[in-house]
Amino acid sequence: MRPILECQSLTKKYGSDYALFGVDLALGRGQIVGLLGPNGSGKTTLIKLINGLLTPTEGRILVDGQAPGVETKKIVSYLPDRDYLSRHMRVKDVLAYYMDFYKDFSAENSSRMLDALEIDRKARLSSLSKGTKEKLQLVLVMSRNADLYVLDEPIGGVDPAARDYILQTILTNYNENATILISTHLIADIENVLDRVVFLSAGQVTLNASVDEIRTDYGKSVDTLFREVFKC
Amino acid sequence: MLGKLIKYDLKYGAKIFILVHAILLAACIFGRFFFLDHLDFGRTDSIVVSSLAIFVSVMLFLYIVVCFCTWLIIAARFYRSLFTGEGYLSWTFPVSGVLHLWAKILSGCIWFFLDCFICAAGIILLVTGSNVRDAYFAIAPEVTEYFGMPPGTFASVFFIYMLVSCICSVISTYFCIAAGQLFPSHRILGALIAYFVYSFISQLLAFAVLAAMRLFPAGAYTDMASGIDAARYTLSIMGVTLIIMVAVSVFQYIVTHIIMKKKVNLL
Amino acid sequence: MPWDLDNDRPIYLQLMERIQHDIISGVYKPGDKIPSVRDLALDAAVNPNTMQKALSELERSGLVYSQRTSGRFITEDETMLKKMKTELAQQHIRDFFEQMHQLGFSDDETLEMMQKTLKGEKQ
Repeated sequence: MRPILECQSLTKKYGSDYALFGVDLALGRGQIVGLLGPNGSGKTTLIKLINGLLTPTEGRILVDGQAPGVETKKIVSYLPDRDYLSRHMRVKDVLAYYMDFYKDFSAENSSRMLDALEIDRKARLSSLSKGTKEKLQLVLVMSRNADLYVLDEPIGGVDPAARDYILQTILTNYNENATILISTHLIADIENVLDRVVFLSAGQVTLNASVDEIRTDYGKSVDTLFREVFKC
Repeated sequence: MLGKLIKYDLKYGAKIFILVHAILLAACIFGRFFFLDHLDFGRTDSIVVSSLAIFVSVMLFLYIVVCFCTWLIIAARFYRSLFTGEGYLSWTFPVSGVLHLWAKILSGCIWFFLDCFICAAGIILLVTGSNVRDAYFAIAPEVTEYFGMPPGTFASVFFIYMLVSCICSVISTYFCIAAGQLFPSHRILGALIAYFVYSFISQLLAFAVLAAMRLFPAGAYTDMASGIDAARYTLSIMGVTLIIMVAVSVFQYIVTHIIMKKKVNLL
Repeated sequence: MPWDLDNDRPIYLQLMERIQHDIISGVYKPGDKIPSVRDLALDAAVNPNTMQKALSELERSGLVYSQRTSGRFITEDETMLKKMKTELAQQHIRDFFEQMHQLGFSDDETLEMMQKTLKGEKQ
């Protein structure tokens, strides 16, 4: 089957600095993949390239066999690592906004999740706490029936309880044909939900293996291995 | 999709737009019925003249503020929705970059056109009182000679000129903001610099073309005294600047498109 | 509650052990239907594919069998369950003796201590 994400000697330069250099990577459908690497290793650059927010300097990136564009944006659901919703909007406006632009957005799924979180549809985003806003953004992204979910640091700034909620939400809404790519540096927390990890270091892929392969081969957790590989 | 994009653009500034223009129309209505209608233009004493001068300056100031607010809505919407955090969502909608640009151009033009029409309605409201009309008819021939055409015709031509320049200024605004993105650490400053550079160059271009056509300086043009020539002079200056404006806008559109397609890196 | 899993061993092995343990300790009775992969994965807070792998392995060992449409069931083969129970018990005993060796007790000493402990408890 055609990989959902494929990079062929993908290179991105900012000025004279390489953010990514010759990345070759293919991810199949139906898995949860951790994109791991220290700050500045190129995780966000790769994610922006997947979403067509940047164009490659050299090489190619293909989502379901196509270069990022209108067609790939229909099947990729993206959670950026920062606030991306206007503070002035109300929750219900945001839902309508998503409904208007994404055909695969399920109002049913989003209502179920918002009810569970007891988020008031009439509340303005500016009145929500940071944690609630992050949960709302995740709900929006996971309410789509996408083929590829790209979550940039979904568990970055939240408390452990919220972290559990987020992982549960990801697992509940995940379907067998979809692939979820999660970038994070908090590996220990999500290690159990990952099929596979991709280590990114200074713009290059240094490891691409399944979690259980790593545990069998190295006899240690991915988290421990990560700490050893990227020791300062 | 284009319709949806425009819908959300218009929704964004609707409240402020309506508020500001309601204030303007209210001021016009107030000025017409409580000030202008009570003026006697037959009197020429200093009280009438100075109060009229104050009234005109206040209204002029109000008009400038209203136009500036409209422009601010357009610029803020373009910048916010495409180049701040909100850009992460806008740019990942299944919509092409060209469509985004066109949606913004069309919504910007809709705002400016509405602004023009409301402003024009306000002016018509102000000057259609019987005392103003009587006073105007007394000086109509002089004014006609000065413009080289009846002021009504001049106003219509000027209105069309305004509409075209609205489109051009929408595109220029977007061009400046997009050009600002090329300076990742000083995006707003970059936009301002782009604005000054662009206006300097287009002014220079206008002077050069006008000089080449011997329309500038005005003294070079012969027989200014004759009314028909004055009309021709006014129209040709407007025509030439219009053509330059449109040419600059086409160039800016292309550059904006390229920047949006290739060069944007959201913060 | 997420299941308590070690960090250094493959996750699917630990999931298998946990389910085996649940079967032996009677959480699941012979012939019981076990929850779906998705529900189990959610309960354990692990990847559904890993849970799938664990269940497939259990199926291969015969402890669990699947019926095409209605899901997975615990085997009703009592001898097999008994055998597994015994194996697990033996494993625990071996581990225990191993630990006692490390503490410096010989097998005989250990046995003696065990008997004493049992008697002590009866008093």
